[in-house]
Amino acid sequence: MENLKQLAYRQNKRIRLLFLASLTKGLAMIGQALFFVWVADAVFLKAASFEEVLPLLGALLLVILLRAGASYWIGRLGIMLSIEARRNLRRDVIHSYKENPLQASIAGQSGRRIGLLLEAIDETDGFFSKYIPQMIQSYTIPLMLLGVIFYLNWTTGLIILITAPFIPLFMAIVGKRTKQKADEKVEQLASFSGTFLDVLQGLTTLRLFGQAKRQSQLIRDNSLKFRDSTMDVLKSAFLSSLTLEYISMLSIGIVALEIGIRLVVFDNIAFFPAFLVLLLVPDFFNLLKDFGSAFHTARGSISSSELLQAELTKQQEPVKWGSAPVQAPVHLALDGVGFQYGDGFQLSPISIDIRAGATTALIGASGSGKSTLMNIMAGLLPASEGRLLINGIPQQQVSEVAWYQNLSYITQDPYVFSGTIKENIVIGATGQVADGELARAAQKAGIMELVESLPDGFSTLVGEAGRGLSGGEKQRLVLARAFLKKPSLVFFDEPTAGLDLRTEQVLQRAIAELSQEATVITIAHRLHTIQQADRIVVLDGGKISAFGTHEELLVKFEPYRRMIDAQQGGKIHE
Amino acid sequence: MSDLKAVFWLTLKEKRDVALAVLFGFLAGLAGVALLGASGYLISKAALTAQMTTLVVMAASLKLFGFAAAITRYGERLFSHRATFTMLGHLRGNLFERLSPLAPGIFQRYKSGDLLSRIVGDVESLQNFLLRVLYPPIVVGMVLLATVFFTSFYSLPVAIVILGGAVFSVVILPMFFAYRRRNKSHTTRASRGEFAAASAEFLYGFRDLKIHLALDRKSEDLQEQAHRYEQAQQKEGLEENRVQSINALFAFLTSFFVLAIGAYFVSTGELSGLYLAMLVMVSLGAFENTGPLAALPAYFEESRIAARRLEEVVDQSPDNSTGLMKQGLPDITVDDVSYHYPSDGRLALENISFHLPAGSKTAIVGPSGSGKSTLLLLLLKVIEPDGGSVQIGGSMLATTQPESLWQRMNVVLQDNHFFAGTIESNLRIASSEARPEQLQEALELVRLAHLELSAPVLEKGRNLSGGEKQRLAMARAFLKRERLWLLDEPFSSVDGLTAQSIYKELFTRHADDSFVVISHDLAGLEAMDQILVLENGRLIESGTYAELMGRRSYFYGLKKIEEEIFV
Repeated sequence: MENLKQLAYRQNKRIRLLFLASLTKGLAMIGQALFFVWVADAVFLKAASFEEVLPLLGALLLVILLRAGASYWIGRLGIMLSIEARRNLRRDVIHSYKENPLQASIAGQSGRRIGLLLEAIDETDGFFSKYIPQMIQSYTIPLMLLGVIFYLNWTTGLIILITAPFIPLFMAIVGKRTKQKADEKVEQLASFSGTFLDVLQGLTTLRLFGQAKRQSQLIRDNSLKFRDSTMDVLKSAFLSSLTLEYISMLSIGIVALEIGIRLVVFDNIAFFPAFLVLLLVPDFFNLLKDFGSAFHTARGSISSSELLQAELTKQQEPVKWGSAPVQAPVHLALDGVGFQYGDGFQLSPISIDIRAGATTALIGASGSGKSTLMNIMAGLLPASEGRLLINGIPQQQVSEVAWYQNLSYITQDPYVFSGTIKENIVIGATGQVADGELARAAQKAGIMELVESLPDGFSTLVGEAGRGLSGGEKQRLVLARAFLKKPSLVFFDEPTAGLDLRTEQVLQRAIAELSQEATVITIAHRLHTIQQADRIVVLDGGKISAFGTHEELLVKFEPYRRMIDAQQGGKIHE
Repeated sequence: MSDLKAVFWLTLKEKRDVALAVLFGFLAGLAGVALLGASGYLISKAALTAQMTTLVVMAASLKLFGFAAAITRYGERLFSHRATFTMLGHLRGNLFERLSPLAPGIFQRYKSGDLLSRIVGDVESLQNFLLRVLYPPIVVGMVLLATVFFTSFYSLPVAIVILGGAVFSVVILPMFFAYRRRNKSHTTRASRGEFAAASAEFLYGFRDLKIHLALDRKSEDLQEQAHRYEQAQQKEGLEENRVQSINALFAFLTSFFVLAIGAYFVSTGELSGLYLAMLVMVSLGAFENTGPLAALPAYFEESRIAARRLEEVVDQSPDNSTGLMKQGLPDITVDDVSYHYPSDGRLALENISFHLPAGSKTAIVGPSGSGKSTLLLLLLKVIEPDGGSVQIGGSMLATTQPESLWQRMNVVLQDNHFFAGTIESNLRIASSEARPEQLQEALELVRLAHLELSAPVLEKGRNLSGGEKQRLAMARAFLKRERLWLLDEPFSSVDGLTAQSIYKELFTRHADDSFVVISHDLAGLEAMDQILVLENGRLIESGTYAELMGRRSYFYGLKKIEEEIFV
């Protein structure tokens, strides 16, 4: 909650205006009661003519407009405050996503992260637009009212000073009790309310087994059980507001009694101040109750704010870059490069040298560190120790733009952006792309037939809003990106299964062609790819357990030979 | 309002609770008005006289009305919430009854995850319909009319002013703002959708954006989208604030005119000054109740949209075919079938024809996205072909009642649902009268004998591994004891050895049954009578394993690649 408060107070101009608007509203409230009593007093007791009270009525109209205006202003300031606070939060979160080097490798959490950016930030709205304005009003207006009440009749002021603290006190006690009750029931509630979704999700299964009919009664029954448990919790919540209402009624009653006694028995207070006090006291208690409900709203924002805070305070070391150009072909060297992130993936220090133009295959079981190593080599993840040398220059001194202009990264599950096929292919190219170049790249990637079969050709919309592409088509689209880019370094995460033969052929041919001009590093899943590689790196548990050519490893590295044997069912030696 | 008709009638089903809620709400409003009115009257009276009785009556009436107001408010809340939750129960039941005949076909038309959470969310949001849309204007209207009636005994002009104010704040303002809102609220939803899509693209496409140096541009785009969404939210918020302020202003203005007119008639002697304070206090008290009406337009629009969306989902005619399946083990004939998904222009299946004799074992293979699962959905009549026909056991699927078809099949889909309960309760979905030994036998068949029948299953089976879920689904299919098996990659998360041994046992035990198995891998297909090879929606090859390998064509190519692959 403190974090949110700081965020709100950072907009100190709006906060000051909120105080000002609250003061205005307080004044208007007092003025409204004052002129109202004044008019009543004048015509009722002083027998004034209508003309005499006209100016008072004019003044009353003015303060009513002022009060409505001030309320509108407070509401507006709250909304603007909330919008700007949330805008700042979004900017920070987007910035943190953008700078987070892990983002490239933990796409699995993207759903949660979208939730943070949308729902979690929107849930802080109650705090900014409701709680903060109400809090500021509670700081100012009750004090003003109390001042006036003290001035008019100090005994009433005293009564309020004694009774008012009971409101927050009981609010806290009752709130705690309600929460306890809710906690007791939480499991029951969750299980009843979950039934509906559970049955809906299982509808296909139920239908196929001919069991759907009897479920609607179950849904109704559980809905009723849910109702009864909820009502139990609500009952105690309603009882709590009953208590609060009762306390404020009681306090107002005591004040009325006191005023009545003075008015009737002692006759030492006039109608005017007595009536005025009687009008102001309920306003005072209403403000206290409003603050209570605003506080309740604010509590709803807290868990979201904690989630956001956790995201924003994560320590992430971004990859640093310099300004040195990158000469093709690229020679990569890892000098004791290691990586550690939390308890997640880690990599023991690794030193390898990948000469320009060579093809290197990374192999190993899943979780052996292949992807992490590849991400470090691609400059997507920062090494926690050691140095990555690009053509002998430490990576930190190399220009990021130059580096990525030289690099293609072909993943197993490539992302297709919402846009046209052309936009998706030219995304990595620098400068204008001639139509001929585009067509040649598409041709080489084996996607030209698809493009030609579409009425809109290269302008066909694909991605989220457009036409769906099969796994093989996506793979070829990404290859077209690479052919257009003409990289001097290719990272390739070879697909494990599920591709059509055509894409398989295109992929093999494409990688062979790209490797003529470029250094290629592949996470390899195919024997063919492994056999063709100039160098094979075998990873096991985050360490290099062997490297060499296929033939070398067959001879000198027993686990490798066993692996190949098992995979080929012994065929390799036939 | 027509969108909300169904919800309206469901709400009224709870006549007693709704009536009690309205009654208590009315009494609570009246008690509040009486409290303020009495205090206005009594203080005026006290100013004139020095009778102790005035004081006693004053104290007693304040207590009485105060207490009555608090108690009746409590009753109002209780009954209105009860009525609401009961209504939600009816609504869920009704929806389910109408949705059920449409499933599973309906899940092909919507992204099912979206659809279901939307249904649940929309039902939840309809809880505001009674609480914040339907009954506040009724209760407030009744309180205001009672106030008008009461004040008319003292001063007709004052009563007319209150009536005017009432019409304005209960009828005209909410209707006007609800109308305005209708044209605006879709901007917020649309911009939210765009922002969500942009966020997804930014996060899921992060690596590609980074490598293509497009991250800066894209994050600026994202900020821009966020900005647009926030602007729409701001507009909506400001509108709500406007409604609230105007609503409050009207309440005050009405009391102002009551005072002004009252003061005039007091000065002309047509109204006793004793009642002036009371009349003004009464109008203040009555209009205090109009606060909740400010939120009405927003909730009305929300409820309306929720109700309409729910109606749209279930307002489709179910499959009313009445044809029944013939007895005996069926064969399957697919004749020149084509199909395209409504969201996609191209054909997912193109001119597919084949015949599967009764008692044969068939595998359907092909790369991902080649149409294997679509073909299975056609056999299940979950989707219906654009052209061509499917016959199972001599019955044309187009005229066959789906239940009659499903009754005869043991089906395992890629995504099988498990309900919160126990292993036993999940198995019994297939057969309610199976003996425990039979359940145990089914578990043994799928190599899950280590699971207790009484072991708990959490919702969606999230305490089970992917492989366990698949095997449990197979056990369920086994318990159904029908003779036509349709299996869609039933063991993709089960290790190869276990999968092969389950298949082997299944095929020996049920040597005469018909099997149609979709498989992602090409191992163990030697035992199948027929293999259908799909690519890109077309049946490009079929035959036995030996035939296909001998032909050295597409299947052979796939097999060669599979042999190459290390996992």
